[in-house]
Amino acid sequence: MIKSRKLMLATAAALALSATGAAAERGADGQLNILYWQAVSVLNPFLSGGTKDVEGSSLVLEPLARYDETGTMVPWLVEDIPTVENGGVSEDLTTITWKIKDGIKWSDGTPFTAEDVAFTAAYCMDESGGCQQAANFSDVASVEAVDPLTVKVTFAVPKPFPYGPFVGAQSPVLQKAQFQDCMGAAAPTCTEANFHPIGTGPFVVQDFKANDVVVFAANPEFRDPEKPAFSTVVFKGGGDAASAARSVLETGEFDYAWNLQVEPEILSQMEAAGRGELVSAFGTSVERFEVNMTDPDPALGDKRSTVEGGPHPFLTDPAVTKALSLAIDREILVEAGYGAAGQVTCNLVPAPEAYASTANDWCKTQDIEAANKLLDDAGWVAGSDGIREKDGVRLSMLYQTSTNSVRQGTQALIKQMWSEIGVETELRNVDASVFFGGDPASPDTFQKLYADVEMFTNNFDGTDPQSYLASWRCSEIPSPKNNWLGGNNPRYCSEEYDALFEELSKTAGIEQRAVIAKQLNDMLVEAGAIIPLIHRGGVSAHANSLGGVVMNEWDSELWNIADWHRVE
Amino acid sequence: MLTFTIRRLLLAIPTLLAISFIIFAILDLSPGDPTSQIPLTVPPEVREHIRTSLGLDEPFIVRYLLWLKQFFINEPLNILEEWTGYTFGDGDRLRISSWATRSPVVDLIVERLPQTLWVVGMSYVVGALIAIPIGVISAYKQYSWFDQVGTFVSMIGFSVPTFFTGLLLIVIFAVNLQWLPSIYDTTLRVTDWSSFVAQIKQMIMPTMVLALYNASQISRFMRASMLDNLNQDYVRTARAKGMKEKTVVLVHVLRNSLIPVVTVIALGVPQVFGGAIITEQIFKVNGLGQLLIIGIQGADIPLVQTLTFIFAVLIVLFNLVADILYGVLDPRIRYD
Amino acid sequence: MLDAATESAPLVRIQGLSKHFPIHAGLIRRQVGVISAVDRLTFDIRRGETLGLVGESGCGKSTAGRTILRLYEATEGAIIFDGTDIAGLSGEQLRRMRPRMQMIFQDPQACLNPRMTVGQIIAEPLDEHGSLSRADKRARVEELLDAVGMNKGFANRYPHEFSGGQRQRIGIARALALDPDFIVCDEPIAALDVSIQAQVVNLLEDLQERLGLTYLFISHDLSMVRHIADRVAVMYLGKMAELASRDALYHEPLHPYTRALLSAVPVADPKIEATRKRVILQGDVPSPANPPKGCRFCTRCPIAVDKCQWEVPEWREARPGHFVACHLAE
Ligand SMILES: Nc1ncnc2c1ncn2[C@@H]1O[C@H](COP(=O)(O)OP(=O)(O)OP(=O)(O)O)[C@@H](O)[C@H]1O
Ligand code: SF4
Ligand SMILES: [Mg+2]
Repeated sequence: MIKSRKLMLATAAALALSATGAAAERGADGQLNILYWQAVSVLNPFLSGGTKDVEGSSLVLEPLARYDETGTMVPWLVEDIPTVENGGVSEDLTTITWKIKDGIKWSDGTPFTAEDVAFTAAYCMDESGGCQQAANFSDVASVEAVDPLTVKVTFAVPKPFPYGPFVGAQSPVLQKAQFQDCMGAAAPTCTEANFHPIGTGPFVVQDFKANDVVVFAANPEFRDPEKPAFSTVVFKGGGDAASAARSVLETGEFDYAWNLQVEPEILSQMEAAGRGELVSAFGTSVERFEVNMTDPDPALGDKRSTVEGGPHPFLTDPAVTKALSLAIDREILVEAGYGAAGQVTCNLVPAPEAYASTANDWCKTQDIEAANKLLDDAGWVAGSDGIREKDGVRLSMLYQTSTNSVRQGTQALIKQMWSEIGVETELRNVDASVFFGGDPASPDTFQKLYADVEMFTNNFDGTDPQSYLASWRCSEIPSPKNNWLGGNNPRYCSEEYDALFEELSKTAGIEQRAVIAKQLNDMLVEAGAIIPLIHRGGVSAHANSLGGVVMNEWDSELWNIADWHRVE
Repeated sequence: MLTFTIRRLLLAIPTLLAISFIIFAILDLSPGDPTSQIPLTVPPEVREHIRTSLGLDEPFIVRYLLWLKQFFINEPLNILEEWTGYTFGDGDRLRISSWATRSPVVDLIVERLPQTLWVVGMSYVVGALIAIPIGVISAYKQYSWFDQVGTFVSMIGFSVPTFFTGLLLIVIFAVNLQWLPSIYDTTLRVTDWSSFVAQIKQMIMPTMVLALYNASQISRFMRASMLDNLNQDYVRTARAKGMKEKTVVLVHVLRNSLIPVVTVIALGVPQVFGGAIITEQIFKVNGLGQLLIIGIQGADIPLVQTLTFIFAVLIVLFNLVADILYGVLDPRIRYD
Repeated sequence: MLDAATESAPLVRIQGLSKHFPIHAGLIRRQVGVISAVDRLTFDIRRGETLGLVGESGCGKSTAGRTILRLYEATEGAIIFDGTDIAGLSGEQLRRMRPRMQMIFQDPQACLNPRMTVGQIIAEPLDEHGSLSRADKRARVEELLDAVGMNKGFANRYPHEFSGGQRQRIGIARALALDPDFIVCDEPIAALDVSIQAQVVNLLEDLQERLGLTYLFISHDLSMVRHIADRVAVMYLGKMAELASRDALYHEPLHPYTRALLSAVPVADPKIEATRKRVILQGDVPSPANPPKGCRFCTRCPIAVDKCQWEVPEWREARPGHFVACHLAE
C-alpha cells in the first residue's frame, strides 16, 4: 500500500516536471484526503440512506443525470434531459425515455448499457430487498431497455415531474453483471459487491473498511482520459464536526471536510489559520415558525389546537403575524447561531432559484416602527404593562421548539425583539426525540402544537417542491381523527390553496410549475401560517491547495470530483 | 487447578447464556430503530420494507434463537473453515450481519482488532510499565517530592477526561507544532523503516492519552500494595537477614505487592478489547470502541449484541484468568 | 551464669538512643511533628545474659528493639555492638554486621515471606553471607529445623501451611541460621497458646545455653520475664523507668511505675497474694506525639511532686546495678 502510494507520488512528481503546465493528466495530482466525520458504512446507496454512504459511493456510482450547484438538472451519462418539448417525456406524462451517451464503460471495461439501468430499477423495486431509495421509484410501472442505449421508464400515473429514477446521487445505476445475484433477500449477503461496487465514475474502490475508511483509485476506464487529476482518494470517517474542520483548516492533514456543524465563531477562528476555506451551499432547509391558526387554550380539552376548537384568538389576524415577522432581525439570528451555514429568507421554498419567490422580501430587514404601526392600525393598543391588547385579548404567546443550544439562543433573541412591539412571549423547549418523535400519546410533539407558535427546520428532497407543498392542504391537518399524522402543523386551510395545488400536480414543465409553486409559497407566508426565518445550508471546508470544489446541496457534494485538482 | 478451571468454565456457560439473553432483550426493548437514521423524507412504507428485510418482523424469541445459532454454530464453523480450508456441510451458512454495513459482524470486528490492539493494548502495556516503577518508588519514598508529584500527576490522569487530554495534545502537537498527525491512518501498512516511523508517530498521541489514564490507576494500586507490604514484618526479617536493600525491595516487597496488581491488570484486559470509545473517536482510530458507538447510535442490534456479548465472554474469561493467576502467584491460595 | 555475665564486658551498649517518627499531615503531607516513640535510652546488655524489657503496650518496646538492630534508623544516640558503633554504619558495613544480631518477631505469621518456602527463607541469608554448596546449605537448613524441633521434610512447605507455634519455631530457626550473638526476641510468645508458650520459652533457653546467645527479651508478661530474664528494664512512654537485676527489681522496685506494674501481677505464694496491695493507675497514657514536659509519668504518678511537672528526672544508678529515673527514688 505504502509502496504503491510512494510510487504514485514519484510518478506524479515526474509527470509534473515533464508536463510543465501542459494539459492535466490523469492521476497527476497524487492523493486527495477527504474527511467525513460520519464514516461510510456501505458503498451501495440502495442499502443505506445515509448522506455519508450516498456521497461516498458517488465517487464510483453515477446517475443518468444530476443536479448542478443551482439545482438545474444536467445530463451526465445521457445525451440530454428528456422533456415534453424534446419528446423525451410523453404528452400524457406517463413515460420518460433516456438516451445513453455512446462509449461509456464500467470500470471493469465492459460497456454501460440500458440493461444495467433497467436492472437497477428492478433491484431497487424488489420489495424483499428493503431498498432505501425506493421512494425515487414510486409509481414506476416498468423500466425497459429499448435498445442498448435507450431506456424507457413507464409510470402508472401521469408524472409531471418524472425525474425520480436515475437522477441525483440517490438514484445511481448499478452494474447488472455484478449485482444480478444480489436481488431481493440476497441483497445484504453480497458484501463484496456492496463494498466494492463497479461504477462508471472517476474512481474505483481499492480498499474498504466499513465505518472507517475507503481508499479509491482513479478509474482507468473513465470517459475523460485526462481526469480525474488525483490518483487516489483516502476517504476517512470518524470523529466529530469540529475535529474534521480542524484537520483541514488548522492541521492541514486533510483536503476536504464535510458537514461542519460547528459554532460559527469557532469555525471562523479556525479559518483564520489560513490553511483552507469554508464553502457553503444552500438547499431547501428552512428554519421557520409554524403559526397555530387554531386555539391552543388548554381549557378546550380534547378540542385544543384542532379546527373544532375554533380559530386562534389573534394569530389569524394577518396584521399580527406580519408585525411579528417584521419585528425579527434575521441578520442577527444568522450571525449568532448559523454563520456561513445560514442566510436570511422570507420563503418556505427558498430554492432552487427558479422556485424562490421575491414577493415577501419585505421581511428581510427588521422594521420595528412599521410593525408597531401595523398593530396600532389594527387596533392592538398597549395596556398598562406595555403588552398590546384588543377586546380583552392580550398578545401573549407560548413559543416552543426543540432543545438545542442554537434554538434556545434564537428563542431568547426573538423574545426580546417581540417585546419591542408589545408582544409577550413565554419560551418552552422540548427534547428533540420527544418533539420530533411523533408519539400520538405525548402532548409535546410538534404535530400536536399545544402552543401558539413553534420553530423547527424542514426541507424537501431534490428540487421539486410538489410533495412538500402538499403538506399545507386542509386534508393534512393533524387531528385526533388521523392520529395526529399530517404535515399541516399550522392547521391552515384554504380552498384556494388546495385548488392551486391540484393545478400544480397536473402541470408539466419547470417554468410553469415554478410559477404555481411560488404562488403557493406566498399564500402561506401572507396568511402568516408560516414565518420563514433562516435558509440553512451545508458548510464544508477545503484546503487552499484544492481547486475545483463546487459546493452542491442538490446532489452529492462530490458531484464534480473528477474536476478537482491541486493548485499552488 | 485444572478441575477448578474446568468447573469454572462449565459454570460460565449458563452465566453467559443468561447474559446474552439479557443483552438481546435490553437491545430489543430499547427505543432505537434501525430506520431512525434514514432521512425524514423517506416514506413510511419504504421504512416498513427495510424493517422487514432486516428480519424485524419476526418475533423476539425467534430472532434471539437465530442469533444464538449464528453465534455459536455458524460463526465458529466459518472460522474453522477459514483456518483449515475444509468445507463443512454446504458451507453456506447465514452469518450475523450488521444492519448498517450489511456485512458479517465478525469480519468487521476482525478488521478492527489490529488498531485497537495496537493503540489500546499498547497504551495498557505502556501504562503498566510506567505505573509499576512509579508505584514502587512512590511507596518506597513515601511523601517525598517524587511521591507528591506522582500523586498529583495520577490524580490529574484519572480525573481529567481523555477527550480533554486528547484535544490538548492535538492542539499542541498537531496544530501548533505540527509534529504528529491528529488522525490515525488505518490503511497504513508497516513495510519499511519510514512506514514504521509513521506508525509510531500516529500511535504516540492516542497511546499516551490512554497510557496516562491507565498508568494513573495502576500506579495507585501499585503504591498502595507496596505500602501494605513495606510495613510487614517479613520485610524487616529480610533486612535483619542482611539482604541487600535492592533484594529486599525487588524480591521480597515487589513480588508480594505485584500479586494484587497483576490481578487488577488481568481484570482490565477486556477493556482493551472494548477499545476506548472516546479516544478512538478523537484520533479517529476507528477500532472496536468506535464500532460499538456507531452501532449504538444506529441501533445496529446484531452488531451491538455481538460486540457486547464478546466483551461479556472476555470479562468472564479474564476473571477466571485473574483467579488462576492469583493461585499461581500466591502460594496461600489453593483451589480444589 | 549470672555471675559469669556480670564479669564480662557488655555486648551491646546503648547510649542516649532515640527514635522519633515524623507525623505527616495536610494536602501535601508535610511533616508537622514527631512521635517520640523511644527517647534517650541508655543501658547495657551483657554478654550471655537475657535482658527483659517490659512496659505497657505502645510504650516503645518494639521500636527500641528494632532501632537497636538498625531495622529503624536511630534519630540520635549510639548503639555500640561488640565495640563498634553501628548507629553510624551504613549500607554494606551494616549489612556485614547483620548476621551477628537477629530478631524474633511478635507475629510469627507476618514475619515470614508468604511467597517463599521455609527452606528458601532460612537459606536466603546463607547465600548472602556465606558460600556454602547446595548440599551444605540443605544440610544446614535441616540442621536448623532439627534444632528447633521440626521435621526436616518441612523445608519445601510455605509458611501458611504451619501452625502458629511451628511458625514461631521457623522464625527462630531463621534467626539462628547465621549463628548470631545477639537476638532481640520481640514478644516471641505473645501470639501463641499458653501450652506452646512454655515449649518456645524452653527452646529459647535451651538454645541460649547451647549457643551462648545474648537475648533482649521484650514482653509485657511480667511473670514470664521474671522466669527468663537475668536483668529487667521497665519502659514508660518511650523512656526507661528502671533497670535492675531481676531479684532487685521484683523485690525492691524503686520507680512508682514499676511498683504499679508489679502490684498488678498475681503472686504464686497465697500469703503474699493475700496482702498484695494493688496500685491502680489513674488516667490514660499520654500520646507519645505530645508527651508531658517533666517526668513522663507525672500525669499518672501517685506520688508526683511539683518538680516532676517541669524537670525531667535523671537516669541514675541509685544503687549498684540498679538504675532508675525518678526524683523521689532514694
Ligand atoms: N512506623 C511507625 N510510624 C509512626 N509511629 C510508630 C511507628 N511504629 C510505632 N509507632 C508508635 O510508636 C509508639 C511505640 O510503638 P511500639 O510498637 O514500639 O510499642 P510497643 O511497646 O512495642 O507496643 P506493643 O506492646 O503493643 O507491641 C506507639 O505510639 C506507636 O504508635
Ligand atoms: S519523677 Fe515524679 S512523677 Fe516521675 S515517677 Fe518520680 S515521682 Fe513520679
Ligand atoms: Mg511491640
